Amino acid sequence: MTEAVIKKIRPDKLVVLLVLFSILAISLFLQSEFNVKQSLFFLVGIIFGITLMHAMFGFTGGWRMFIRSRHSLGVRAQIILIICSSLLFFPIVGGAFSEISGYAALGQIGTSVLVGAFLFGIGMQLGGGCGSGTLFTVGQGQTDMLITISFFIVGATLGSYHLPWWLSMPNIGKVSLITELGWLPALLLQLAVLVVLYRFVFSLDKKRNNNVPNLLPTQKSENFLEQLIHGPWPIWWGIVGLTVFGLVTLLMAGYPWSITFAFGLWGAKIWSALGGDVASWTYWAGGYPAKALNQSVLADITSIMNFGIIIGATLAAALAGKYAPEGTIKPKRVLTAVIGGLLLGYGARLAFGCNIGALLGGISSGSLHGWLWLVAAFTGGIVGVKIRVWMKFDKPYGSAS
Amino acid sequence: MNKKNRFIMGAALGLATIAVAIDHTQHRLPDPVESGYEGATIIEDGEEESQSPCSMDSGGSPCSM
Repeated sequence: MTEAVIKKIRPDKLVVLLVLFSILAISLFLQSEFNVKQSLFFLVGIIFGITLMHAMFGFTGGWRMFIRSRHSLGVRAQIILIICSSLLFFPIVGGAFSEISGYAALGQIGTSVLVGAFLFGIGMQLGGGCGSGTLFTVGQGQTDMLITISFFIVGATLGSYHLPWWLSMPNIGKVSLITELGWLPALLLQLAVLVVLYRFVFSLDKKRNNNVPNLLPTQKSENFLEQLIHGPWPIWWGIVGLTVFGLVTLLMAGYPWSITFAFGLWGAKIWSALGGDVASWTYWAGGYPAKALNQSVLADITSIMNFGIIIGATLAAALAGKYAPEGTIKPKRVLTAVIGGLLLGYGARLAFGCNIGALLGGISSGSLHGWLWLVAAFTGGIVGVKIRVWMKFDKPYGSAS
Repeated sequence: MNKKNRFIMGAALGLATIAVAIDHTQHRLPDPVESGYEGATIIEDGEEESQSPCSMDSGGSPCSM
């Protein structure tokens, strides 16, 4: 990035000041009401938000680019992120270190994940974001994403109501590669598959587009500090940030970074406040969900981190002068945001997570359901991209998009 | 930058803040830490593990990622 470009950035100083004050106030509040750890979870969420926003690290756009035109930069970045996270997570989850421990994000392999991830994949393309993408674009001030996140919450709540029925459908239970093979053989097998996948994706890009951009920078940043603060970041900074703080989350929480549990929780709390008898639903009747429902939302780690992601993205957008971008919402966009949001929420609940909890967290911690999620969600993504063309959001394949 | 969009975002964040505040005040605060040593709360991992949304085996609840 050149200095000329950096000089054009005009931070939104008022928003920056307000957000910095909010971060300080919320951190101190969490520390005084709960403990330092709760405050740290919030700050990790802030860093995730900044990273996602400055690196524009989205899953939805990367998939759409690849499906439409075979441009693979985003998809390759996601594969590298999973490789880096797997290298760090497998030994920890496999118990290679006696001093530290972490649990895998295991999910049942069966109908529920297959259907849920497929719906989620469609929802990503219609709603305009995935789990992390929805949060950071709301933080950026994209007003249409407020509709998507609202119906994401509705969908997740509905999904929690129906989940027991879906879980009774055919499945083979949870499968951990680490338990089945041992962490080192499982890691080597997974890395081999991921490398093959990377090369396959790269070759498809190369075949269609002669010039395949490199993930690593071709030139050094001229002003590192300016770029770090105001962005935009090269995509590999995003990979490093998400890997490092994904590890921090695993070490602090004991399980990988997750997002969508909180959406269901928020919806259940709202429905409960409106007089709904959520506590009688099987999902919310026992275990951690019941506990989360009956305590402050600020006590839930996933919620705290999600709040952090939104606020962190707001800070990054304001520093980049990109907060609350221009644009009006057309009726057709409202429709896709509503349908997309519902599919995202419902699908995530059925599929044991979203692109973060199931895809990144699941695969990186050795859960086989993450791979099933990837196949089903990507297939759903192809359908979603076709629907976008049918609805005239995008031009037909082959024309400039 | 769009003033209307900024207002919409501000209103949405304000509503969310009020909702969180109402929810927080309706629930009993966690018990105070008995130890006088504040740092002890940071390294107590056992309680956090039991709160894991992924601990579906013990509670019979599905993993809630």
